[in-house]
Amino acid sequence: MSQTTEDDRLLIEAAQADPARFVDVYERYVDRVYVFVSRRAENRAVAEDITSQVFERALAGIGQFEWRGLPVAAWLFRIASNTLADHWRERSREAHEAPPDVPDAGELENIERRITLYQHVERLPDLQRQVIRMRFVEEKSIREVAAALDRSEGAVKQLQLRALENLRKSMGGHG
Amino acid sequence: MADRPLIDRLDDTIEAIVSRADATAALRDPEVAPLARVAADLRHYPSPDFTARLRAQLERRTTMTSVSTTTAIREGFTTVTPYIRVREAGLLDFLVQVFDAQETFSGQGSGGGMHREVRVGDSMLMIGEGTGAGIMPVRPVSFHVFVKDVDATYARALAAGATSLGEPANRPYGERSGYVADRFGNRWFIATALGPQSVAGALRMVTPFMYAPRAGDYIDFLERALGAVTETHHEEGGRSLYARLRIGDAAIELGEAEPTPGSFMLYVADPDARYQRALDAGATSIMPISDEPYGRVGGVEDPLGNQWFFSRPSR
Repeated sequence: MSQTTEDDRLLIEAAQADPARFVDVYERYVDRVYVFVSRRAENRAVAEDITSQVFERALAGIGQFEWRGLPVAAWLFRIASNTLADHWRERSREAHEAPPDVPDAGELENIERRITLYQHVERLPDLQRQVIRMRFVEEKSIREVAAALDRSEGAVKQLQLRALENLRKSMGGHG
Repeated sequence: MADRPLIDRLDDTIEAIVSRADATAALRDPEVAPLARVAADLRHYPSPDFTARLRAQLERRTTMTSVSTTTAIREGFTTVTPYIRVREAGLLDFLVQVFDAQETFSGQGSGGGMHREVRVGDSMLMIGEGTGAGIMPVRPVSFHVFVKDVDATYARALAAGATSLGEPANRPYGERSGYVADRFGNRWFIATALGPQSVAGALRMVTPFMYAPRAGDYIDFLERALGAVTETHHEEGGRSLYARLRIGDAAIELGEAEPTPGSFMLYVADPDARYQRALDAGATSIMPISDEPYGRVGGVEDPLGNQWFFSRPSR
């Protein structure tokens, strides 16, 4: 049994014995679930709403979860697929069902790459990290970021360029 | 394009990525392309505020789970069941004609009139008929109801004697909805979801819609008294526009206006603890905890006049 699988088993057993420990499962997997959902959601608000529902459903179902040696991530991705399918069914209001998909090996690799990238964002110099967060997470315009940081728009664009170059280098790309 | 500075070309690409527009032009720009790939991955960067908020929500929920278990809920019911008091019979017929409701139980109520339990889609309602003595006052309440075809349901409601409060129209919050009042004054906000911004996905067919003059304060009270979890709270200029709270596995919606209080049955594992918690949060007792033929039950009234009855059904 790999360390990850053993960690997963302990996490699940702890949460089944004491629901308050479910936050440990959440902490470990929320970013991965969010990335998976976000690629299939129309916008951030929907991605956040669906991610919330995934963990609410996981919490509600953890008592019935049977440990079969599969990664907890696979269980959460399956819940996420079903939640997304519900969302699309409601949205399209058509009889056909959106095919629930779970990530294949290629997508799992992409998810892990993005998680690593986000860890590198946290290690960026303060101003660069703030620009990345405001631009991509808060979806602020360059003008809004400039006003918030009390910098010129040109300076913010420079910070944005430096941040992306640093991230690319950290991820093994050529600078 | 290439004669423009790199910082501007990159920013155009990021703008397109963030707004989910076509950013493929960047792939033909050898300076921008490698950075655009990093930028495309950043679009899915989870908001730290969001993950912290969701964590807090789950923590509150797990605290709730330790004091209540779903085994206490009657089969077919959810945690919260609205109890509608009306002066005489007739509401059941209205619900059957308009929403295809089904009566699942009827019997003599403790106040002397009929007590009915009604299934509407995946939701349950209780109705108390008659003006006899009883703790729950006769008073109209409001509901948000999702249906397949709002226009047809609205027309059926008018044919069944309802008064129009607003013809079906497409609303900015992703619904087509029409509003009616039944002959007892209960208001039914009938809706069909139009798009992803609709709250339909988070609700069952029938959800109580409550009002509070200062919604923020009332939300705070519901969280403390009932362990409610706020899922959505939209505010604008210090005024609450809309909030959705979850109590156990049921939802209630809240708007800022003069209250139209109602009565609610909550199925819980430990009514004694929940009753005490509500009193500690500022509610007033209207029914001390006691063992009744149908289960152990106690009730409180909150500062707006809403009544909450905590019940653990008999096995």
